[in-house]
Amino acid sequence: MRWARANLFNSPLNGVLTVVFGGFLAWAAYRMATFVFVSADWEIVRRNLTLLMVGRFDRDQLWRPWAALLILAVSIGLTAGMVGAAAADVARQRGLPVAKGSLRSAPRRFWPLILLIVVLVAFTRTVAPTFLILGVLVAGGVAVVAGQRVPARLRRFGWIVFVLGFVGAIVVLWAGGGVPWDGWGGLHLNIFIAFAGIILAFPLGLLVALARRSSLPVVRVVSVVYIEFFRGVPLISLLIMAQLMIGFLLPPSMDPPSLVVRALIAIVIFESAYIAEIVRGGLQAVPRGQVEAAQALGMSQFSIARRIVLPQALRAVIPAMVGQFISLFQDTTLLYAISLFDVLTVSDTTTSQDAFVGRGLQAVVLPCVAFLFWAVSYSMSRESRRLETRLGVGVR
Amino acid sequence: MSDVLISAATVPGGTGEPVIVLEGVQKFFGEFQALRDIELVVGRQEVVVVIGPSGSGKSTLIRCINRLEAHDRGRIVVDGTELGDDLRNIQTIRRETGMVFQSFNLFPHMTILENITLAPRQVRRQSKADAEASAMELLERVKIPEQAHKYPGQLSGGQQQRVAIARALAMQPKVMLFDEPTSALDPEMVAEVLDAMKELARSGMTMIVVTHEMGFAREVADRVVFMADGQIVEVGTAEHFFETPQEERTKLFLSQIL
Repeated sequence: MRWARANLFNSPLNGVLTVVFGGFLAWAAYRMATFVFVSADWEIVRRNLTLLMVGRFDRDQLWRPWAALLILAVSIGLTAGMVGAAAADVARQRGLPVAKGSLRSAPRRFWPLILLIVVLVAFTRTVAPTFLILGVLVAGGVAVVAGQRVPARLRRFGWIVFVLGFVGAIVVLWAGGGVPWDGWGGLHLNIFIAFAGIILAFPLGLLVALARRSSLPVVRVVSVVYIEFFRGVPLISLLIMAQLMIGFLLPPSMDPPSLVVRALIAIVIFESAYIAEIVRGGLQAVPRGQVEAAQALGMSQFSIARRIVLPQALRAVIPAMVGQFISLFQDTTLLYAISLFDVLTVSDTTTSQDAFVGRGLQAVVLPCVAFLFWAVSYSMSRESRRLETRLGVGVR
Repeated sequence: MSDVLISAATVPGGTGEPVIVLEGVQKFFGEFQALRDIELVVGRQEVVVVIGPSGSGKSTLIRCINRLEAHDRGRIVVDGTELGDDLRNIQTIRRETGMVFQSFNLFPHMTILENITLAPRQVRRQSKADAEASAMELLERVKIPEQAHKYPGQLSGGQQQRVAIARALAMQPKVMLFDEPTSALDPEMVAEVLDAMKELARSGMTMIVVTHEMGFAREVADRVVFMADGQIVEVGTAEHFFETPQEERTKLFLSQIL
């Protein structure tokens, strides 16, 4: 009561505003609840859940996406555990507060993801997926704990574990009679494109950022032109151009790459230009004195970049990089524009199935897709903020 | 520079063997001339203290000696190696020259031990064990061995500056350059850093120290160099300098600071 008086009704104007907005919020919540629980017909999502998740992936081969998901969960878990433990050590050594992560705090930290999983399970029609999801979650959780126990000197290989896991997932999906990526679709395709995009774009962006600070004018100019050109072009136009033009650019004897690869090329080029600018910001944040101290010790330029400048610069850009990854993940829905079978395309096609056509069910499917993206993105940005505090970004 | 001044500046002290030689050194920042015709020879085991008002070119002078700034005219020779555009010469001189900065410039993402062992391992290719053993000796010498596994952010300013001294010494330099090492410190921490520097001077290290600590200059300096407006105005022993300064500029400066 006292809190309400102090914060909501502390002046006549605030009182009026509280009543008006409170009324509006209550009305909006009521409308949403009635939509979700009463008026919406979720049958379309229920019937097409597999399609939304993996597109037209060969239905006899569905164990492959599950196995891939398991490998991804384990590798991401291991990496997260290693990075988390390293960050906590840094925070402890610098005397920064370390928020204890525990099984009990997990629901509060990951409630958007948990909500997402609950919703997905609610849409399944058999019991098997529920157990499979539980299995993946348990494996991921165990991997996190195992990652935390990895000896400190091995922690810096965390990112390799993640990349290996990602490659392993591709192999499981494709190799030995599996499905090549042309046959992938649904959310699975979005996740693949986002991960592959960031993994490939990061080293390229790093190189471009370093080139921008090169002492050779030619290198610098090429880098600036690259960055400014690709940052000035909408991603969707790059995607369309890649579909149409990559075939022309290659020698006629070569088969043009598949649609997925062309889209990936466009995304990597586009993202690397943005990442280059993010990294440049980080490089500029490293004080001049750091380089001077290393120079005065007689260290080579390469050593200075590798040991002094990059570690500090990259640590400073973690939040921006996560933000970039989130926006890349959402941008993967632009695959819709080039007729790749991503989750947005799938959701659109479901509304023209015989059973559902002409009923305006976009209003049901699209919120589902939006919720999917929101739950994943919001969880990631929360975790990155946590990591940021631990690493003391912005604290010297 | 007058003949008397030149002879005072170019006769090396210490053992008499010249280690650092500056001949007619000039440095411009755009239109502004930061160093004018600097003539100075520093002998082995000599301690030269450079004083002067801010903006007089003291820091620029010692930053030219390890090429953190490139001089525009004149010659700089350090232990027989001449500084020029040749990158190998620059690296040779930087290996032989330790530097301590006003703002410490420790590497914040590394422990104290890693800060000290980094260059010996990277540049001198020492093994980890060797580098760490000598690092611990150096930390003993500056009296903070117990801080070895902390990060710079956890140390006080005085402790950080002593680590910076140990870090420079780990490369076993022939010359140490100090660029206002106590100016960024809280008053109560100045003494501990100056003590470490005095100990170093007593051990026979060749040092050039830019500082405002007149007590230190009086006690440790073999020669004091007074600079103003990018020029060397007066050079002499500490005694000569503080008791019987000749130049008006010097007298004015001393009257303002003492």
